[in-house]
Amino acid sequence: MGFGVSGSTAVIFLGILIASGTLYTAAAGSAEQISEARDEDSEDLLDRRNTELEITSVSYDNSTDELEINVTNRGTTTLSVDGASVLVDNGFETANSTRVEGDESTDVWGENQTLVINVSDVTAEPDRVKVVAENGVADGNSTVEVI
Amino acid sequence: MADVSVPSLILFIASIVIAAGVAGVLIDTVTGISGALDDRGADVADNIRTDVEIISSAESGVYDTDTVTLYVKNTGRRTLPATGETFDVIVDAQYRTNVSVDVVDGGDEWTPHGVVEVRIGDLPLDNGDHPITLTVDGDEEIFRFNI
Repeated sequence: MGFGVSGSTAVIFLGILIASGTLYTAAAGSAEQISEARDEDSEDLLDRRNTELEITSVSYDNSTDELEINVTNRGTTTLSVDGASVLVDNGFETANSTRVEGDESTDVWGENQTLVINVSDVTAEPDRVKVVAENGVADGNSTVEVI
Repeated sequence: MADVSVPSLILFIASIVIAAGVAGVLIDTVTGISGALDDRGADVADNIRTDVEIISSAESGVYDTDTVTLYVKNTGRRTLPATGETFDVIVDAQYRTNVSVDVVDGGDEWTPHGVVEVRIGDLPLDNGDHPITLTVDGDEEIFRFNI
């Protein structure tokens, strides 16, 4: 009888040991995944709070149907040029060319730098232009200068 | 001697078998819970990494002949499927199923920083204010406009 009790206790303890090992691995793994995601999220939030855009000027060329938008990064977050989106009269437009401080190939749009976006084939004079940064921060401008 | 050991042996074997059964059921249950916990952790982490932003302005232009057209930017860290099933759309407290989605900034996938055009059809709206709720993987965006 004595052996029976200690033997079965040992088997049950072994079972509890294996079960808690499995549970701990899963719990620790998913807790790590979630805390990593939260970490990234709060980093993105900080970047977003440090982002500010200002459309300094918008000019529309009547003869060539080209629109030139000057946007200045007034925040401290370095933004991506490819990540910026342009809405002209609430319709999405793809930029024909972009340049930051004269450089057309760069993707870096740093603090206090002005991004110049050229949009072609804008047939009518636009009323409103909006530029959205990669993280959703936006600025609009309804003062379009016609050349 | 043999008279004592045979019932003891039977009891010993029986107790070990029962203990093994209990431990087996315990391990099986905990493994199931661990699997579910792992999946849940991954899902929650994905939800945290998902973030979208409606970049269209609330102008009357968004509504045209029974269709609302919105531009939605992926401001999260995950590539999302650009299909109507990704979006749960509620307009004026009614669930809408006629939703089509197209990537507008090039490419086939809705990568981070990408923009999609969401068209909600079969939508005869009266004049007045209308709220639209878009839900993508747990991230809810509310867009209100007036026609």
